[in-house]
Amino acid sequence: MAIFKQNAPHLRRNASVTRMMVDVLVALAPTLIFSFIIYPIKTLIFYLISVVIMEAAEFIYVGLKGIMPNDGQKHSFKERFNYAYKGKYNQNNILTAAITAIIYTLIMPAGAPIYAVIIGALVGIVLGKLVFGGLGSNIFNPAAVGMLFAKVCFGSQYAKNVPTWYYTVADVTTAPTALSNSAGTLNGLIENFNNANFLDMFIGRMYGTLGEVYTVTILVGAIYLLIRRSADFRVMLPYLGAFALFSLVAGLGFYAVDGTTNPGAFTLFSLLSGGVMFGGVFMLTDPVTSPINSPSRIIYALVAAVSTVFIRLFTAYPEGVGFSILIANMVAVVLDHYEWSSPRYTWKKFLTMGLLIIIPAAIIFLVIKFGGVYHA
Amino acid sequence: MVCNSLQKYYNETMIAKTTHINDTKNLVGSLPAVRYTEPQYLYIAMANARCPNAELFIKEGDHVNSCQVIGMRHAAFFDQPIHATCSGTFVGLEKHYHRNGKLTDFIKIENDFKDTLDPSVKQRTPEEIAALTKDDMTEIIKNCALVGLGGSSFPTYIKFQTNKPIDIILINGIECEPYITADHRLMLEFPRRVIDGIKYAMQAFKCNKAKICIKSKYKDIKQVYEQVLKEYENSGIEICCVKNYYPQGWEVAMIKEATGIQLKPGELPSNRGIMNFNVSTMVGLYKAIKYNMPVIKRFITITGDGIKNPMNFRVRVGTSVRDLLSQYCGGYINPDKDKVFIIGGPMMGNSVPSDDIIITKTVTSIIILDKEDYVEQPCVRCGSCVLSCPVHLEPVQIMNAVKSLDKERIKMLNPLRCIECGLCAYSCTSKIHVTDYIRRAKVFAKL
Ligand code: SF4
Ligand code: SF4
Repeated sequence: MAIFKQNAPHLRRNASVTRMMVDVLVALAPTLIFSFIIYPIKTLIFYLISVVIMEAAEFIYVGLKGIMPNDGQKHSFKERFNYAYKGKYNQNNILTAAITAIIYTLIMPAGAPIYAVIIGALVGIVLGKLVFGGLGSNIFNPAAVGMLFAKVCFGSQYAKNVPTWYYTVADVTTAPTALSNSAGTLNGLIENFNNANFLDMFIGRMYGTLGEVYTVTILVGAIYLLIRRSADFRVMLPYLGAFALFSLVAGLGFYAVDGTTNPGAFTLFSLLSGGVMFGGVFMLTDPVTSPINSPSRIIYALVAAVSTVFIRLFTAYPEGVGFSILIANMVAVVLDHYEWSSPRYTWKKFLTMGLLIIIPAAIIFLVIKFGGVYHA
Repeated sequence: MVCNSLQKYYNETMIAKTTHINDTKNLVGSLPAVRYTEPQYLYIAMANARCPNAELFIKEGDHVNSCQVIGMRHAAFFDQPIHATCSGTFVGLEKHYHRNGKLTDFIKIENDFKDTLDPSVKQRTPEEIAALTKDDMTEIIKNCALVGLGGSSFPTYIKFQTNKPIDIILINGIECEPYITADHRLMLEFPRRVIDGIKYAMQAFKCNKAKICIKSKYKDIKQVYEQVLKEYENSGIEICCVKNYYPQGWEVAMIKEATGIQLKPGELPSNRGIMNFNVSTMVGLYKAIKYNMPVIKRFITITGDGIKNPMNFRVRVGTSVRDLLSQYCGGYINPDKDKVFIIGGPMMGNSVPSDDIIITKTVTSIIILDKEDYVEQPCVRCGSCVLSCPVHLEPVQIMNAVKSLDKERIKMLNPLRCIECGLCAYSCTSKIHVTDYIRRAKVFAKL
């Protein structure tokens, strides 16, 4: 027995990064399984491709980071290997790559060609994560980076209307998500809304990416994450709440123009369609790319909600979750700047939050009502 | 019960504010203290952390009486007499580990087991005591070398010198750190001494209100004091239960909870008419005023996962921990596992590289833990440290600033406000020793 000196505190809490990542895996599992049942082959292929690429990239990255400095002596491969990997490569490296791979798989559309999946996965893990320094150092969500890269580069080659037995609402639209509309106008959106069946949307019987459409399983995952607190509710709930509020305001705008749109139902439609639930539950809440303190996290979630709604309603892109996550990730870096970052809630922060809700809401309503973007 | 397990669950979830520390207190808290441990040799520290120099008034072979002044410690702005804590013969100086973790000279006295008291010890009658003013008391406790016995070792007479009007005296019996139960036993076993001490303090500060703050989960202490306080009519002393949080014993948190007053960072409680003392300091005050006696005995807890029989003791100041361990605590549980010896609480206490520790006036506990090697993972920015910090710092940002050696950034992040409660390292999901980085940041910030 030896007696050691160490610095206080001498105790540690019973929690670990590994457990946090396992929690996220467990929360993702229902959605992954659902997706596998509906699209067995696509899900399996996409997942295998991305998990192999991401695990390999992570492994090679750790090896490259640990290259032995040249000390003039010869070292066997085993020595070099041990030098690079011992104590530096552990279960967390494996888990983090696996989570990224699952999220990436679930946000890829079933119609994406294999090469797009491969390139997206590579770009996502390398440019989205490893160039920043691996686990804990990335500023962007790697899965979102990969997905968007593939979409922007190869989006025109995505197959439309991938058939499976699950779809019965084939006449909703011909594009990959319930949000897309042929003309890219709000009239197209409302048309989709009028044709939508909420039960179908809730259980994912609609067009969308592999995983983001199964709201029911995403909700299960969300509840699990909140109970385990492996995702911060200060991100998830403000994001979904603010998004719902903005959709309600948009719905009111539509109602003010045409007198028939039900704002409440439109809010539900917006929440159920596209990747809002998935992005808000699994991607935006990634602690690595969130700000560090609670008020900043709420502001960050609001920024993401504002950008999601704006991209959805007013740009040519039907779906804004991926982009808005990246925008919010950038804002997170700014929010964490040492000169103003503080965990205290001050009136300035409350003002920011208030303005982030009121101004966009006003813009949304006014543009829809008077901007001439929507016609009865 | 349900509430407790929920609380426990909440604390162990990932992104959460940590307010509780798992401990084994219930086990030791109900054990009565072992008394009358009369060791063969007693060791009295020469210098300590606050007083770097000391001189000795006796020679080898001299006979000393219990409570006799045998030396003087010198510090920058005060002197502190050294008292013998038993009667016997001065054998010489020996080096042992002091509470601050350093090897220090100790005065070794061979106990003659007669406990002859020094003539300076005399009992004051109630009338004499009633006539004492604050200045008289200041003089008495200065000569008795009374210091903050909760671990601060700040000279109490300096607190008595304030001229500010004091409206309320708060007695800190919270002992918020896990494992320690010394004050708990003291409060249970000597309630009248505690209350008398408080009355003397109230007399000195001419204030008629005092609150004894304890954790609300200690129903036993509450019952005892509610009963005993009935004997003291109109004393103005009440018992105040505070929430069971860590770090509730931090004076700012305690004052907030007991009086509702929120101190500004760095503000002295006396500015707001508050005087706060530890309970054991009050018993020291009682002894000093009533018997003109220094602190020669104190309660300590020896506990931890590493030893067989955790115990509470009431021992003479100067007892060697090694003796107590082998005689009473039944040795170590896993003798071949590496151990850590902590003086004070497991969250803020110092660790020493040896079991050769001497109990000084301000040692509240010795905690022996099996050494655990935590593997540090990269920070995942979960934010638990930020949520947990009681002074609203951002430990992880400070850590990153220290890593990049950015002095300006470190200063902006205010690490000097940190109270070193240790919660940031305790709560870190990546097992990073965040508190160590904060300590380094403090060094930078002072440059
Ligand atoms: S040790 Fe300091 S920085 Fe860490 S939680 Fe405590 S007060 Fe905050
Ligand atoms: S230092 Fe630890 S507790 Fe703080 S954010 Fe990083 S991982 Fe979380």
